[in-house]
Amino acid sequence: MALLQIAEPGQSPQPHQRRLAVGIDLGTTNSLVAALRSGLSEPLPDADGQVILPSAVRYHADHVEVGQSAKLAAAGDPFNTVLSVKRLMGRGLADVKQLGEQLPYRFVGGESHMPFIDTVQGPKSPVEVSAEILKVLRLRAEASLGGELVGAVITVPAYFDEPQRQATKDAARLAGLNVLRLLNEPTAAAVAYGLDQNAEGVVAIYDLGGGTFDISILRLTRGVFEVLATGGDSALGGDDFDHAIAGWIIEQAGLSADLDPGTQRHLLQIACAAKEALTDTASVEVVYGDWRAALTREAFDALIEPMVARSLKACRRAVRDSNVELDEVQAVVMVGGSTRVPRVREAVAEMFGRQPLTEIDPDQVVAIGAAIQADTLAGNKRDGGELLLLDVIPLSLGLETMGGLMEKVIPRNTTIPVARAQDFTTYKDGQSAMMIHVLQGERELISDCRSLARFELRGIPAMVAGAAKIRVTFQVDADGLLDVSARELGSGVEASIQVKPSYGLTDGEIAKMLKDSFQYAGDDKVARVLREQQVDAQRLVEAVQAALEADGERLLDADERMVIDLQVQELTELMKGTDGYAIEQQTKRLSQVTDAFAARRLDSTVKAALAGRNLNEIGE
Amino acid sequence: MGTPCHFALFELQPSFTLDLEQLAARYRELARGVHPDRFADASEREQRLALEQSASLNEAYQTLKSPPKRARYLLAMGGRELPLEVTVHDPDFLMQQMQWREELEELQDEADLPGIATFKRRLKVAQDQLNDSFAACWNDAAQREQAERLMRRMQFLDKLTYEVRQLEERLDD
Repeated sequence: MALLQIAEPGQSPQPHQRRLAVGIDLGTTNSLVAALRSGLSEPLPDADGQVILPSAVRYHADHVEVGQSAKLAAAGDPFNTVLSVKRLMGRGLADVKQLGEQLPYRFVGGESHMPFIDTVQGPKSPVEVSAEILKVLRLRAEASLGGELVGAVITVPAYFDEPQRQATKDAARLAGLNVLRLLNEPTAAAVAYGLDQNAEGVVAIYDLGGGTFDISILRLTRGVFEVLATGGDSALGGDDFDHAIAGWIIEQAGLSADLDPGTQRHLLQIACAAKEALTDTASVEVVYGDWRAALTREAFDALIEPMVARSLKACRRAVRDSNVELDEVQAVVMVGGSTRVPRVREAVAEMFGRQPLTEIDPDQVVAIGAAIQADTLAGNKRDGGELLLLDVIPLSLGLETMGGLMEKVIPRNTTIPVARAQDFTTYKDGQSAMMIHVLQGERELISDCRSLARFELRGIPAMVAGAAKIRVTFQVDADGLLDVSARELGSGVEASIQVKPSYGLTDGEIAKMLKDSFQYAGDDKVARVLREQQVDAQRLVEAVQAALEADGERLLDADERMVIDLQVQELTELMKGTDGYAIEQQTKRLSQVTDAFAARRLDSTVKAALAGRNLNEIGE
Repeated sequence: MGTPCHFALFELQPSFTLDLEQLAARYRELARGVHPDRFADASEREQRLALEQSASLNEAYQTLKSPPKRARYLLAMGGRELPLEVTVHDPDFLMQQMQWREELEELQDEADLPGIATFKRRLKVAQDQLNDSFAACWNDAAQREQAERLMRRMQFLDKLTYEVRQLEERLDD
């Protein structure tokens, strides 16, 4: 489809020209873009000299505002301002409710099971919101590097599952970025740290961001970054610290817990400011309206202790999984803004028995590492030898077996890319189909795992139970994305699926969003798409008119006829304009209202054709 | 069984005794050559090939670096049948298995962390002994049955190690 061509890499560069590629840290709270310039990886500033772009998106009726100004508007315009959208990526509505916090949005259901946020511009999926952030960063990069990008490396939390990864890739596509690779954030941080310090040996990366926590254990050997194990919690971060303080204010000030969205936002802003202040002082005065009280660091530490403990537990598990002893870990690198919290640093130091390293700015280290990898992937030669990143899958992948149990096919922390096959058989005589249910997670019961996809292998030849041999193959690529195929070995019957999880976007949704995005893109591609939409509409109108002329009288009653005429008229009007989306929608609507008519026409044609023949002839 | 054989991929002769450091170094070297990152702007066909080759390299490495998997692979070389779920007649070991399991259950009931550490050390000693015995007999056709028996013992202890790890995780809650 012509539409998808926008994601293609730019024109081939001149032989000596450096191919432009960037690393993007798409964070819960803040996002950054970095690139290699004169051999040095550094974050790119905006026109005002700011490198950090708050991950805040505010929808206005006619434009979209991204960054600091949007963030500041959150309390005043909560329904149209989306913060921390990363926490919603790849999640279903039910998961979002399970995040256990009041989110001040109005959610609506979509074509897929994604939560759409109702805004003044209509329902927006988390993927679209993220794409707005990415778009701003892409434009910033193109402006400061002075050319079109070959591609980008986008970082994701190592602990992101398949749907969350897929959603991130979709968002990048939507923002017009060619994704060279999805890279795990701790791995990116390890690259920045390892190259900066010339480090070798076993390193732990403790990454506590705004909304996600990751721990990775890596072995660094002469430019090879081998992830031994990774773990974490994709719903644990600095935001939770803010919520804890906000809860404390509500309790101390005797507020009702049922607050309107604007007040919630306001409280969270106060909470976040208090948290940040407590990094450098032992006590901070918290003011909310007429109410004021002191929050000591001690009290704050107690509030966040359960969350710190959760992160340490994940650390212990990752160390066990990596098969190294705790004292073999030679360095612990702190990543993410939330590692500025003194209690976090202290707890990590206690656990690993060494002071964590905080030399590289914890907000920038991920983007810096991603840019180095992006430059390599774009085909630019690196001084000092090539990099190699060997990553793992964070969560086990498997299949549903009898009794609602999950059978692991690829265990967590297996190095990717990986392909693995498992054989199954039929359990009934003459069974002709088998349902393949793909799952991700560590638990035994499938109800405790995340369902990634279901598909059916059909056409298995009739055999007695247990005679068929069905080989299911899992293949995970270097981005951590999964393909599953199934094949009956005797007959060669085959079925496969590229796992497009139920919480991702359907291809239809992506295509539509890509089209939508052209409305704002303002280049000749828009015109091309509009032209295609007009042509499609024109074709449909002509077909409907011809059908009405031929069979309208005979097959439609007056009301039905009127509905169709109205929709035809509407589309004919729209076709003269330039609103491609409206044309497309109306084309769809017209096609829907004429469905029944088309079916009746087909039916009557078949009947007419059969009228002169006897049953025997039809049977042939 | 993969073609070429896992050992050949690493330019090694089939053997149970391996220098793991050297294996790891060779793995990193080979991975450099075939990893999909090297082919980010190559043709789709080459990317596909890199993906497949990396996946088989990873598979080979996983197999060779784990003693039970390596043992099984050696015994299955030359196309011999080696069904996964078969209990080789081994009454002594059956008794020992029951003992291990009982101990593990007790450790769980008492949440005995130092006990678990001791248990892990003993497990490691038992694994080392098995590895030595297997190394001595796997290549002798006359001792084939013994080698298979040892391999299944290794598999059991491997599973037990995994269960200990799960237990540690549960006790960490």
